[in-house]
Amino acid sequence: MIPIKYNVRNLRVRWATTLMTVLGTGAVVWCSCILFGMVEGLQHSLKVSGDPLDLIVLRKGADAETTSGIDKKTADEMSTLDGIARDERGLPLIAGELLSIPVVQRANGTRTNLIVRGIQPASRALRPDFKITEGRDLELGRGECIVPKLLAGRFKGANIGGVIRCGDRESYRVVGIFTAGGSSAESEIWVDEKDLSRALNRESSVSCIQLRAVSPEALGRLKKTISSNDQFKLDPLSEVDYFAKQTQSSIFLQVFGTVIAVLLTIGALFSAANTMFAAVSSRTREIGTMRALGFSRSDVLISFMSESLLLCMLGGAVGLLATIPLSALTFGTLSSDTFSELTVNFRLGPTVMIIAVGMTAVMGLFGGLFPAIRAVRLDVISALREL
Amino acid sequence: MKFLVYIFRNARRNPIRSLLTVGSVSVCLFLSMILASFLTVNDEVNSSVKIYNRVVTMSSQGLGGKVPVARVAEVAAMDGVVAASPFSWYGGSVGNERMPFAQFGVDPSQIFTIMDELSVPPDQLEAWKKDRAGCVIGAKLASDRKLKIGDPLPLKGTIYPFDLDLTVRAIYDGPSNRDLRMCMFNWDYLDEGLKKSSMAGAAGNAGIIYLKCKDPAAMAMLSEKIDKAYTNSDMPTKTQTEEAFGKMFAEYFGNLKDLILAVGVAVVFSLVCVAGNAMAMAMRERTTEVAVLKAIGFSKGLVCFIVLSEAIIVAGIGGLVGAIGAKFFFDFVDIAPYTAGFLPFFYVPWSTALVGMAASLAIGLVSGLIPAILAANLSVIKGLRKVV
Repeated sequence: MIPIKYNVRNLRVRWATTLMTVLGTGAVVWCSCILFGMVEGLQHSLKVSGDPLDLIVLRKGADAETTSGIDKKTADEMSTLDGIARDERGLPLIAGELLSIPVVQRANGTRTNLIVRGIQPASRALRPDFKITEGRDLELGRGECIVPKLLAGRFKGANIGGVIRCGDRESYRVVGIFTAGGSSAESEIWVDEKDLSRALNRESSVSCIQLRAVSPEALGRLKKTISSNDQFKLDPLSEVDYFAKQTQSSIFLQVFGTVIAVLLTIGALFSAANTMFAAVSSRTREIGTMRALGFSRSDVLISFMSESLLLCMLGGAVGLLATIPLSALTFGTLSSDTFSELTVNFRLGPTVMIIAVGMTAVMGLFGGLFPAIRAVRLDVISALREL
Repeated sequence: MKFLVYIFRNARRNPIRSLLTVGSVSVCLFLSMILASFLTVNDEVNSSVKIYNRVVTMSSQGLGGKVPVARVAEVAAMDGVVAASPFSWYGGSVGNERMPFAQFGVDPSQIFTIMDELSVPPDQLEAWKKDRAGCVIGAKLASDRKLKIGDPLPLKGTIYPFDLDLTVRAIYDGPSNRDLRMCMFNWDYLDEGLKKSSMAGAAGNAGIIYLKCKDPAAMAMLSEKIDKAYTNSDMPTKTQTEEAFGKMFAEYFGNLKDLILAVGVAVVFSLVCVAGNAMAMAMRERTTEVAVLKAIGFSKGLVCFIVLSEAIIVAGIGGLVGAIGAKFFFDFVDIAPYTAGFLPFFYVPWSTALVGMAASLAIGLVSGLIPAILAANLSVIKGLRKVV
């Protein structure tokens, strides 16, 4: 076995070449981390939204909360159904919520659609880890709103004491900042349902009903009761299924991200191969000497492959280090399901790291393979004779 | 110019290295073209609609708001307006596919006057006008789904609580940078269904209004006039040119643009490293030769020029393959059908391809800079003495 020290020294001696290759592959790994971190973040925000006991009731045929609509009377009737969980004060955990997607100005002056959700008291308990982190909760009927932490500062007026303007007529005073366990609620502004229905002139209907069952059996029963009632024409979906369906729309982005990452990897692979070819040709005599000393072909092969792997891994490490500041970043983009802004946190979790490390390993192995084979094939005598 | 042959020979001296560099540059540029076109196709399509003098009226509440259908006739009667039509988003699913293409309720007698860059055979247009439940679809949609005239195209309502039983009555065609994957049907048919459904209160909504103006000068004034007429109504409007309307959609994508830009910058940086490295290696091997060149009287500037040209040529070939190649690749391969409705069309605009080409030349220039300076300043004595 040729000691790995030999390869480390080689990389150090040719430090300029090494540095360039490391920076080049590092940039590539960084790009891939951005892409996958983005896709991961997108999927995460849609995935964590569901509690297994939660039901989300939409109008039959509607496939997103934003496009659904339910008669308010029906919604009131549903709160008397059996099997709905209750909070510590004995109130049923069911909330009829109204959604609107007005055009709202971002802090940078551009505009987008943003979900404004009119909530009822139970809405809070129905979201995972709902917490007011700053300021206070909104009071009913006073035109107040609370905004998620991710979204604070991203929109004009989205800070405590600020006023968020929706279209020409509506505006809400921000009184608090909340978090909701990274769920999709963190892309929405919450206002009182009565305030919103008055502003929209939609006092007789809600968009959807959220509720929690006491047990899995009760969940099944509730589902059956609601869907079998022909008068209601409603479609109860478990929240988990609902959000799983929404995640499907991010599949395209995932495929897109993967294609780009693969292309990038191929690009970087060429550069690693380039470096290694140069390393082999400049060390022809050394290789001849090593073979003459009795190192076998496979020793030489392994040595060059490990040098290439080491080189790329260094690049990968640099790329990964450069992604650290990104994990605090959030970005906003359009959700194709609700046609409104979706605020997402980058997620550079273990999956992304593993993919990045895997990529560098592939670069190193395939990039080093052909140069290493060339090194192995060298004829000892002529290699030694080489000037 | 007389050194061109020498420069080319140098570039071919180590074919594997040059090929790998070219490969690296072209693969990465190909990818950058996909990313960049994502952004520029939108811009190009938006600015290309200028010539059609169209204006869009929507609710000031956003696309979810309501524009009463009575206003279509009102604005159509205004001075300088050629035609107006409601343009109501239906957004239904087909079978189990959710919203695979855009679907709109329109006025059949007006819509092709407004979108006069789209063409429909007159007999098909007549057939569509006669059939309330008929629809007209784009030529690309027809070929994607193998739809012919007379085929049923049932849409399942997701926003609306009822389905539409449409029949294909006409197929439109048009320039390749127009959405040739739309389905348009009679707005009245949509409204009738709505009146009978549980959402009867939502009937009478035009969605947005598409207007064609007589000349470009009238557009700004007309927009102002329309908005002014409804400022004090229940449902104020916002009217803007079709270009501005399209830009609004681009804004919706938010930070996606910044992300793509960040990736693009990183790719270019990585390429500078890769190409610079290759060039540096090439020069290291040729130290003696460069010293000979200088010894026989080549000036510093000339040596510099030769090295830089080689770097630019190698990177440029990569750019040619990657950027211009991507242009032609996506002209032949239409990836739009595989994006599940995400992109109605995709191509690489010439402007983007040329920017990519220019970027590759710049990459060559920057990457060759340090090796060129080193070569130019090489001490002849040291260079000649060096044993490679």
